Amino acid sequence: MDSVAEYLSLDEPDRSSHLWRYTPWRGIHPTGDVSRVPKLESPVLGLIGFDGGAVPDGISIEEGVHSDIILPGTDALTGTFLRAVTGNSQWTLRVEPEFSSEHPVILDIDAGDSASVLHLALKVGRLSDLELVTRIRGSGEWFGMLRTGDIGEGSSINDVVVSLMDDGTLLRVDSISIGRDAQVRAGTVSSGSECTKADLRYRMDEPGGSLRVLGSILAAESMHLDHHVEIHHEAPETFSRLAWHSACDGDSRTVGTGMLRVADGSTGADASQVFHNLLLSADAEADSIPELEVLEHEVVGCGHGTANGPIDEDQVFYLESRGFDPSEARRALIAAFLNTTLSEMGSDSLHDWLVGLLNSELRTPDA
Amino acid sequence: MPANQEAREVVGDYKAGWHDPENSTIRFDFGLSEEVVREISALKGEPEWMTDIRVKAYQHFVERPMPTWGNTPTLESIDFDKICYFLRSSQATEKDWDDVPEDIRNTFDRLGIPEAEQKWLSGVTAQYESEAVYHSIREDLEKQGVIFLDMDSGLREHPEIIRKWFCSVVPLTDNKFAALNTAVWSGGSFIYVPKGVHVEMPVQAYFRINAKNMGQFERTLIIADEGSSIHYVEGCTAPTYSTDSLHSAVVELIALPGAHIRYSTVQNWSANVYNLVTKRGIAHEDSKIEWVDGNIGSKLTMKYPSVILKGEGSHAEVISVAYSGEGQHQDAGAKIYHLASNTTSKILSKSISKNGGRGTYRGLVKVSPKAENCKLNVVCDALILDEDSRSDTYPTMEVANPTAHCEHEASVSKVSDNQLFYLMSRGHSEEEALAMIVNGFFEPFTRELPMEYAVELNQLMALEMEGSIG
Repeated sequence: MDSVAEYLSLDEPDRSSHLWRYTPWRGIHPTGDVSRVPKLESPVLGLIGFDGGAVPDGISIEEGVHSDIILPGTDALTGTFLRAVTGNSQWTLRVEPEFSSEHPVILDIDAGDSASVLHLALKVGRLSDLELVTRIRGSGEWFGMLRTGDIGEGSSINDVVVSLMDDGTLLRVDSISIGRDAQVRAGTVSSGSECTKADLRYRMDEPGGSLRVLGSILAAESMHLDHHVEIHHEAPETFSRLAWHSACDGDSRTVGTGMLRVADGSTGADASQVFHNLLLSADAEADSIPELEVLEHEVVGCGHGTANGPIDEDQVFYLESRGFDPSEARRALIAAFLNTTLSEMGSDSLHDWLVGLLNSELRTPDA
Repeated sequence: MPANQEAREVVGDYKAGWHDPENSTIRFDFGLSEEVVREISALKGEPEWMTDIRVKAYQHFVERPMPTWGNTPTLESIDFDKICYFLRSSQATEKDWDDVPEDIRNTFDRLGIPEAEQKWLSGVTAQYESEAVYHSIREDLEKQGVIFLDMDSGLREHPEIIRKWFCSVVPLTDNKFAALNTAVWSGGSFIYVPKGVHVEMPVQAYFRINAKNMGQFERTLIIADEGSSIHYVEGCTAPTYSTDSLHSAVVELIALPGAHIRYSTVQNWSANVYNLVTKRGIAHEDSKIEWVDGNIGSKLTMKYPSVILKGEGSHAEVISVAYSGEGQHQDAGAKIYHLASNTTSKILSKSISKNGGRGTYRGLVKVSPKAENCKLNVVCDALILDEDSRSDTYPTMEVANPTAHCEHEASVSKVSDNQLFYLMSRGHSEEEALAMIVNGFFEPFTRELPMEYAVELNQLMALEMEGSIG
């Protein structure tokens, strides 16, 4: 069955399904008519160096997807839909084995001003060392991105996705497999798009994998940003940390749902997840569901936590007593809150770049 | 295979697992229909409005699909056509213990109910199958206006109070099993505590299923009027059969301004009982509702005691423990709705999984946009004792007010080798050491129970831990 027929054979999920509780599929579908598989444009892709120049040898982007990994337990609906609508908009980002780059590499995605979609396969060779920033820009009404792939054994990857869409809806589905002894930091920085639905899934099915999933989410006005993160430990001695910081202003809503699943046989697994939400206005809402399924008893530890609260008025007072005006103090505290996860996403140069980005977003009147 | 051996294989070592010969005076055929619902109501001589509620609830039960979440394969295995929905074992609810039929009296004697009543209780209700068989309350409390009756008597003697509050906390459309209970409810407790009255010693209800393929659907309604307080304790057991029984209760608590209700449960159904219970309370201004909930038995428990914090300054606490052994799934948790300002809540959940058991915490904490300055704290700890067992945690937090301070933390771990080594180096066997660690893990729960229950629970856990090593 091809992807279109497969998608059309699926039922529309209802809100009793955990994944669709807060953001119904009808609200995310490009047309709202879930029985349609519309024709969508392809975005413009560019691979550039951090300084705007050429990228080093050993990393390239090519048309087509040669191997498409579907992780077990992946939501059938979004994955199938994105496969059905990508058509020719399929690309592979190839990183040669033992590739190493001193500076981050930027994958620039210009989604244009109409609805567009992309399937990007990541093929990261063994023992490679890379910082990759995927920057999504555009003013279209809808952008969909399916990222599949695998991180080769022993690699060290900082993979940061930055959403800077002017408006519209972003549907993002990640399905990434992490190889033996690979170390991955997967960062998400989201401050654009009116509505985001992200379903990010990682699997460690070989021993020694290490994963940090980090989120810095800034929501303002009536933005609705829904991120679901699943981490599957399916091999011994695997390690994961999920830290997700969301700041909500206006009448925005952020949703952070996480699932840590430790399969039987994953001895020595060490997993935890923490969601922190900062509520900045009376009409903002933050929802968190950090879930845990543990089927192995010989684990180092599995835990989760979540905390919600307002800006600490004592801290505002302290900054004001040091000469900050009230709005500056408030902005500094929001920046510090989001910086907690931002600072973990990669090297100092990447961090500086991300902080610059965050500050410019905080200076906009909406934020 | 002989029936006894088969039963042993199903339920294991369960000390309340004997059963008496069935001496019912009325027994309905298996299966549920509108006629069965009307017949139960007619048999009890209920007012028309109650019959109407039952029929509406039955219709909702039929229309409502089974839940699509939780342990759906086990839920789907419930055969509603193979359950007896009403069984009367005694013609009347007795006030004198000697008037209770001998076989039933023997059962409760073996469970220690009369002894407990004499020693440390303000009142007792003993329910056997569908209805209460014995009921008593201390005279001084009765003089102060405290009403403590089984629910059927409550409806007969105080229909105006029941009509006002029945289904006010758990509507008949709340969920499939609440609808089922509302349609076929029988027995349970009705308590009204007048303004300013403090019931110093706990009142207790004890629920016993004796017959095979039995459904027990008790309905409990507790109203604590302004500034009053009460502690209600319930226990439950059933015989060990190789076929399944269903327990589907609904409990509604109403704490009026300044009142305090504590509801303690030690659930020890045999491992062939589905325990699907809806428990919810509404807390008015400055009142307090506490659920102290222990789940040791049953095949599948789905129970999430809830509190709606409706009045400013109200407080909710849920302390729960769950033990999941072989073939058991304890899907328990708590729900708190902060609807008013300056409300506070605390949830502490502890679970242990052993011999392939599955422990699940499922919770919801919701802060509404108008609820200012709420504080809430949720802690879930789980211990997994062997490689065949499993622990899941599904907490949900929905916060729509920026002044709320919300915290949640959870951990899943195994028994620490260091703790085992320390206790064994002091002369304890590994089994004893494990039982001590488990009792210590449950201690925040047991210290909230009346002492007699705490001792009983510790003994139960020691029994469950037998054979854990080697």
